[in-house]
Amino acid sequence: MAIPVIMPRQGQSVETCIIGEWYKQVGDQVKTGDILFSYETDKASFEEEAKEDGELLAVFYEEGDEVPVLINVAVLGKSGESVEEFRPDGDSTEGSSVEQEEAPAASDATPAKEEKAVVLDEKPEGKIRISPRAKVMAEKMGVPYEKVKGSGPHGRIIAQDVEAASESIPKLTPLAKEKAQAESLEPAKETTGLGGRASASDLISYNPVYGDDFEVKKLTNIRKLIAKSMHQSLQNSAQLTHHMSADARQIMALRKSFKKKLEVGEVSQNITINDLVCLAVIRALKKYPQANTHFIGDSMRWFKKVHLGLAVDTERGLMVPAVKNADDLSIEGLSSQLSTVAGNCRKGSIDPELLKPEAASFTVSNLGNYGVEMFTPVINLPQTAILGVCTIVPRPKDLGDGVYGFVPMMGLSLTYDHQALDGGEATLFLREIKTQIENLSI
Amino acid sequence: MPKVQFIDPKDVRKAGEVTFNPIPVNQYNKSIEEEKANFSKEDFLRIYHDMAVIREFETMLNEIKIKSEYNGVAYNHPGPAHLSIGQEAAAVGMAYTLGVEDFIFGSHRSHGEILAKGLSAIHKLSDEQLTEVMENHFDGKTFAPVKANFKGTTKELAIRFLIYGTLAEIFARETGFNRGLGGSMHAFFTPFGVYPNNAIVGGSGDIAVGAALFKKVNRKDGIVVANIGDASMACGPVWEGLAFASMDQYTQLWEGDMKGGLPLIINIMNNQYGMGGQTCGETMGYDIAARIGAGVNRDQMHAERVDGYNPLAVIDAYKRKREILKEKRGPVLLDILTYRFSGHSPSDASSYRSKEEIEAWQAVDSIIWFGKELVDAGIATQDELSSINSGNTDLITWGLKLAIDDKVSPLMDMEKNPELIGEMMFSDSPVDSMEAGREAEVNHPLEENPRVKQLKNKERFAFDKDGKPFSKIKQYGLRDGLFEAIADRFYKDPTLIAYGEENRDWGGAFAVYRGLTEALPYHRLFNSPISEASIVGTAIGYAMCGGRVIPEIMYCDFLGRAGDEVFNQLPKWQAMSGNVIKMPVVIRVSVGSKYGAQHSQDWTALPAHIPGLKVVFPATPYDAKGLMNSALQGTDPVIFFESQRIYDIGEQFHEGGVPEGYYEIPFGEPDVKREGKDVTILSIGATLYRVLEAADQLQEKYGMSAEVIDARSLVPFNYEPVIESLKKTGRIVITGDATARGSFMKEMASTITELAFDELDAPPVVVGSRNWITPAYELEDAFFPQAEWIIDAIHEKIVPLKGHVVKSNFTEPEQIRRNKLGI
Repeated sequence: MAIPVIMPRQGQSVETCIIGEWYKQVGDQVKTGDILFSYETDKASFEEEAKEDGELLAVFYEEGDEVPVLINVAVLGKSGESVEEFRPDGDSTEGSSVEQEEAPAASDATPAKEEKAVVLDEKPEGKIRISPRAKVMAEKMGVPYEKVKGSGPHGRIIAQDVEAASESIPKLTPLAKEKAQAESLEPAKETTGLGGRASASDLISYNPVYGDDFEVKKLTNIRKLIAKSMHQSLQNSAQLTHHMSADARQIMALRKSFKKKLEVGEVSQNITINDLVCLAVIRALKKYPQANTHFIGDSMRWFKKVHLGLAVDTERGLMVPAVKNADDLSIEGLSSQLSTVAGNCRKGSIDPELLKPEAASFTVSNLGNYGVEMFTPVINLPQTAILGVCTIVPRPKDLGDGVYGFVPMMGLSLTYDHQALDGGEATLFLREIKTQIENLSI
Repeated sequence: MPKVQFIDPKDVRKAGEVTFNPIPVNQYNKSIEEEKANFSKEDFLRIYHDMAVIREFETMLNEIKIKSEYNGVAYNHPGPAHLSIGQEAAAVGMAYTLGVEDFIFGSHRSHGEILAKGLSAIHKLSDEQLTEVMENHFDGKTFAPVKANFKGTTKELAIRFLIYGTLAEIFARETGFNRGLGGSMHAFFTPFGVYPNNAIVGGSGDIAVGAALFKKVNRKDGIVVANIGDASMACGPVWEGLAFASMDQYTQLWEGDMKGGLPLIINIMNNQYGMGGQTCGETMGYDIAARIGAGVNRDQMHAERVDGYNPLAVIDAYKRKREILKEKRGPVLLDILTYRFSGHSPSDASSYRSKEEIEAWQAVDSIIWFGKELVDAGIATQDELSSINSGNTDLITWGLKLAIDDKVSPLMDMEKNPELIGEMMFSDSPVDSMEAGREAEVNHPLEENPRVKQLKNKERFAFDKDGKPFSKIKQYGLRDGLFEAIADRFYKDPTLIAYGEENRDWGGAFAVYRGLTEALPYHRLFNSPISEASIVGTAIGYAMCGGRVIPEIMYCDFLGRAGDEVFNQLPKWQAMSGNVIKMPVVIRVSVGSKYGAQHSQDWTALPAHIPGLKVVFPATPYDAKGLMNSALQGTDPVIFFESQRIYDIGEQFHEGGVPEGYYEIPFGEPDVKREGKDVTILSIGATLYRVLEAADQLQEKYGMSAEVIDARSLVPFNYEPVIESLKKTGRIVITGDATARGSFMKEMASTITELAFDELDAPPVVVGSRNWITPAYELEDAFFPQAEWIIDAIHEKIVPLKGHVVKSNFTEPEQIRRNKLGI
């Protein structure tokens, strides 16, 4: 009996994944535990192992395709077994046969079936009535049924309502899909097909001047996500950045002493400048809890603990994992956790839950290693602020008694949401960070 | 009905009178001295022994019930024990002359008869035969504990086997004669000629008639004795059995060697009480039960009363009556007078009779009296009798100990094999002929049959190649499909018989059997009395003995008349016998219309509710023939529903039409008659054609494509195809002509909801008949489901149809209102 291979769901918030690479081809014999394909979630990548022995009978999605989770992506079984029953709905590769199906459907619809499901902006009043079938279908298709208007008895949401709601998102007709792939065309914004689909005639060439002198690369899932959240951040908040610099001598001395301790084995963890800065930030946050918050419109979440987000640059793009309850940690513990989450991000094995912007209460982004002297970090909404840590540069400083010398100074750039914090509060908070860094003791 | 019998008004209107012959009462008057010529000492002692064994057996059960102890052995038996202490002479006298091939049927109070007939058979069988019987019964499972460590003779061993098998059965042990599934009131052992005893009073009154019919029709040796109580003479089915047993046609119309009466003795074990009622003087008016014979037929059933307290008197009567049966002048009615010392059951305090009365009967206790006679006549010494008595005490004590020993006599292990009983409900065995090798008696080759010739010219598919229907008369109809299957089996299985109220000559009120009268001799197809209890009851007895039979219930509404037979007897005996018995009975039940409240009901739910019956309801000629073939190939009881609305319907679905040859349609498989994708409509029976109308309208008016499924079977039923359809449509309407409340449609709706909840886009909706009387034909459209009702129900309960105007009320408030009122 053939069995489907589904796109697994990694974490509650993950709705779609992108196929990375197929390690097995259709026709290959597969053993339990063999890696079938790799895939990316929002911010991490995984590999899917075969759960049973068998032949890879069919693959429904290609590398780079975005696939909703829990959808069949492939079929394992015995040679010759039918795979049709596993083929995900609406993704038949036989464009023509689907077209044939559509023609009678259109004529069927003439007598009575024109009613369209309305997707409401708000939940309707009262209890939601939905048939078991419609509910299962909505969950599978990712349709938020709470907002679907029901057409069944007593306004019950029935299967046809969910189907119609899912179709209200414009898609390509099967023919258009085929043509678009073959000729590198894209749909125009205005579409003319059934159910708002783009039909073949709606396809336009991307740029008639350049012709095909470019390659269209699909955005990775993570890129899409970053794009979306960064854009949203700047659109939906009132961000501005204050810059200040802190005397880095104390912190550098601490770093030096930890390095020695590491060499002689007194500590097991390589304590970095960044770890020490994070410790200073945590201490400052304890004094200025208004910065350890989420701004959520008409209210704010004031966190009792510090959940520190750390911006990590990876091959796949920017990731911000959170370290939960960072204020409970010793410097060694903090260092260890920061390096673990950063490492997991780079390996792609990070728990997606930790990557949610809601997971952290404040974020630190350190570009010091790259020589950046000043920048305006973008807030990871709904957090109210983010600290950019810049490179250390020698600056002249009054050493007392009219003596000036060059002192290593670390740049600090605090971006905050003016909706949540006033300039004065932000300045005092930034100064507190500076003070903590300059007087850091373990 | 037969034309050969001319009813001449001159004759029947003549003046005259009905005269009766005197009915003998206790006429036996031989002394034991005189009987010495007929019985050896050994015979006399055996009679004594057998009576004493029964007394000890019943006494032991009485002690166990009352004191939970017998002879120092403690046991608690929670089940029933209807004892016959005091009736031993009647039982032994009845069984004494019977051969192994003679069958007895009994009642709830038949332990004594089982033992008496068993002991009689053991006496007559050779050691080799006995060993074979014991070794073969359930592969020696009953025998094994008995023979372990035993060193006596084979006959002694067989007696132990009889005692043990009966007792283990009473105690529900797996080693019992019927695996413990029958129990006290239903125990039996066919290899000794002991056929099922029956816990329904009078239950054997018609079943035994069917057994006698089997013996006669299939020319089997032996007679049949129906042991029923005096109180059962009030039961309708007993009278129906008497009517069936005494039909004139046996002597006036049946041909050749078949001419003559049934080899049957209705043996009234007249203990003078029925529960707490006294039959003579209180609850009946016959005074002497033998009087009944005078009202049944010209021969007065050769009835007589015999003193059942003298075993020799009973033996004498049986010797004389057997001669009558040999001359094919049966049936015989015997009124064997007896008395039970024990109550109806051990819980009965006998408050309805006086102590003096019991003591008076104990004073003439047949065992004590007979023993004294033997001693007085110098046939036996008191020591010999005492030795028999103490031997019996040992025997019963041994049997009790063995039967309650959980190690050698375990109960069925329902934990280890939870489906054990389930597996016994049906035999599910295909059998071409119930008596392979014997040729079927027919009047001519089937191809020469006028109906068969006529069918050659019929169109086996309803439409011509352009899709135009042939004229009704040209179409091969549903009744023709039934005919072909039944005719085929008549030629294959010599045991097959069919009967009903109008089967011969008329060919059935709906012409299913037209042509069979020409094909079959009288004894294979005949008209029965209009008495459904006997029609079904005799069929049960006929099948128990190994014959296949098609009784016909002309209107479904008459099924109630055979309530006990259909609900209590037919479904039970395969499992209750531990699968010793098979039940190849196909009851044809015709569902009417047009004739109002008592001729138009679809009662499919009733047999479907009773475990042990298979229930089918085909609606097309192809399905009717295929399902009838399956029914007649099987050995399970089938309630075969047919609808009078569609006997003439042609085959509209099966491509190529109804095949001429033999084919079977397996029971339990619903059939998709039309594919669709928006709603499933599941139909039971003749509503199929109204469903198709509804499907057409749904398509034309509302663009909705309906998948139409014909249930075809109710029990068994495979829900998988329905669920498959639901996966596609998500919606289902279930319809049929039965009144909706408590119908099988509701059963299906409930089961579908459990099995496919997540597939459902709306609740399964049942469209059945209204919960009323069926009105006159002119008003039927307001009662039976119509195509419009189905559409209304879809609109109201499943998905509103744009622009649809409802005609009937399927709203929820209305449903609540109707239920509140019970209508």
